[in-house]
Amino acid sequence: MSASQSAVRSRAEAVQVSRTLDWMILFTLFTVILGGYHIHYMLTGGDWDFWADWKDRRLWVTVAPIVSITFPAAVQACLWYRYRLPFGAVVCVLALMIGEWINRYLNFWGWTYFPVNFCFPSNLVPGAILLDVVLMLSGSFVLTAVLGGMAWGLVFYPGNWPIIAPLHVPVEYNGMMFTLADLQGYHYVRTGTPEYIRMVEKGTLRSFGKDVAPVSAFFSAFVSVIIYFLWHFFGRWFSKTDFIDGEGV
Amino acid sequence: MAATTDSVKADASEAPLLNKVNLFAGLMLYLVFYSFIRWYEGIYGWSAGLDSFAPEFETYWMNMLYIELVAEVFIASSLWGWLWKTRDRNVMSITPREELRRHFHHWVWLVMYGWAIYWGASYFTEQDGTWHQTIVRDTDFTPSHIIEFYLSYPIYIITGVASFLYAKTRLPAYSEGLSLMYLVSVLGPFMILPNVGLNEWGHTFWFMEELFVAPLHYGFVFFGWAALAVLGVVNTEVDALTKLLKKDLA
Repeated sequence: MSASQSAVRSRAEAVQVSRTLDWMILFTLFTVILGGYHIHYMLTGGDWDFWADWKDRRLWVTVAPIVSITFPAAVQACLWYRYRLPFGAVVCVLALMIGEWINRYLNFWGWTYFPVNFCFPSNLVPGAILLDVVLMLSGSFVLTAVLGGMAWGLVFYPGNWPIIAPLHVPVEYNGMMFTLADLQGYHYVRTGTPEYIRMVEKGTLRSFGKDVAPVSAFFSAFVSVIIYFLWHFFGRWFSKTDFIDGEGV
Repeated sequence: MAATTDSVKADASEAPLLNKVNLFAGLMLYLVFYSFIRWYEGIYGWSAGLDSFAPEFETYWMNMLYIELVAEVFIASSLWGWLWKTRDRNVMSITPREELRRHFHHWVWLVMYGWAIYWGASYFTEQDGTWHQTIVRDTDFTPSHIIEFYLSYPIYIITGVASFLYAKTRLPAYSEGLSLMYLVSVLGPFMILPNVGLNEWGHTFWFMEELFVAPLHYGFVFFGWAALAVLGVVNTEVDALTKLLKKDLA
């Protein structure tokens, strides 16, 4: 066999080799992205994602989209630019959410006994679909950053509303009024994270009353656009195939 | 096998391109091992892991830590040493088919690296969140940390470095120079382990509580970003495999 010859012996074998490698690449990409994205997300927005009583109308809505658009932007930059694959954002979010759900069930519930309706993860799927669809239809990273990034931030709260709404109804308990989610947190004590650490409903934005969530979502959408641009270039850099001289390394 | 046939079966005497036994045995090894670890945490976390001054803590947790550390040093030095010692000194002279077979072996290593990253960076790291937000720590070596930092992280480091060494010593595509993104994808997640020093120092000196989004944890975040370098590794591999597969059929 000379150097100009193929490593495979038939077109059918070439196809089989290619498909097998596709699955191995996808598995590796999925699990490594899962690990990197999950550790990033849990340590930049995790507390709001862990607990229902952190999922407020202000900081959760603001923080979660901003810190979670990072990996989807980077992976889109590689998968679309190199392979014209329009599912970078959905792959990231599915990986993250599978990792989160396994954890919430087996560990938050299975080891420390918090009910799943107190520690379910935020839903990021609607934003990911929009991000990928904008990229696929437009073929433009600028439009994806501006329209997709904006949609990513704006759709986060509506995308989670059916899940969180029942826990935001007011209840009266010992003469005080708070939400059902607050009541869950009151009863399921997290000794290592006392109440004074919880960051919810802070600031004076409450003076605008009912507009808290839309204003937070709009601000989050604005920052998400900027973060998308930044992480697009991170993705481009991480996609490099450069070799460096081994001398002195 | 005749070049004209469309059969994809290899010669009977020839080793298969992909060793599926290695692939599934590796995946099952980590799955079964970590299932045992999770069972151990469930039993001995609550019964023996809450008070580091209790004798049972020494029995069930500190002894586990000592065993882990010794085993990891032994496995890492043996595996990495074996990969280096048995390196191919004429890597540029192998046939295209042998090169493809080695790429498949390499992908078994990469699959295992991804699998190990999942358990370390996702499963045991978020698990650490619920444990430390629930209990109050009185030591750096908590049941959660003994598994997360000193077991699951070293395992993905050992796997990642082994994968890198396999590529470097057996594949022509990596024989000259060092793949920048491969280095980043192995060294970045590796640096999460030394960053434990910052984490423990901060928690010991001023922050006993567990707030996961605390700036004290941002070192883990920064090095976690290095996982994205797997994109560069995939691209490098796709380039090499495309060259192998697009040549004239034998």
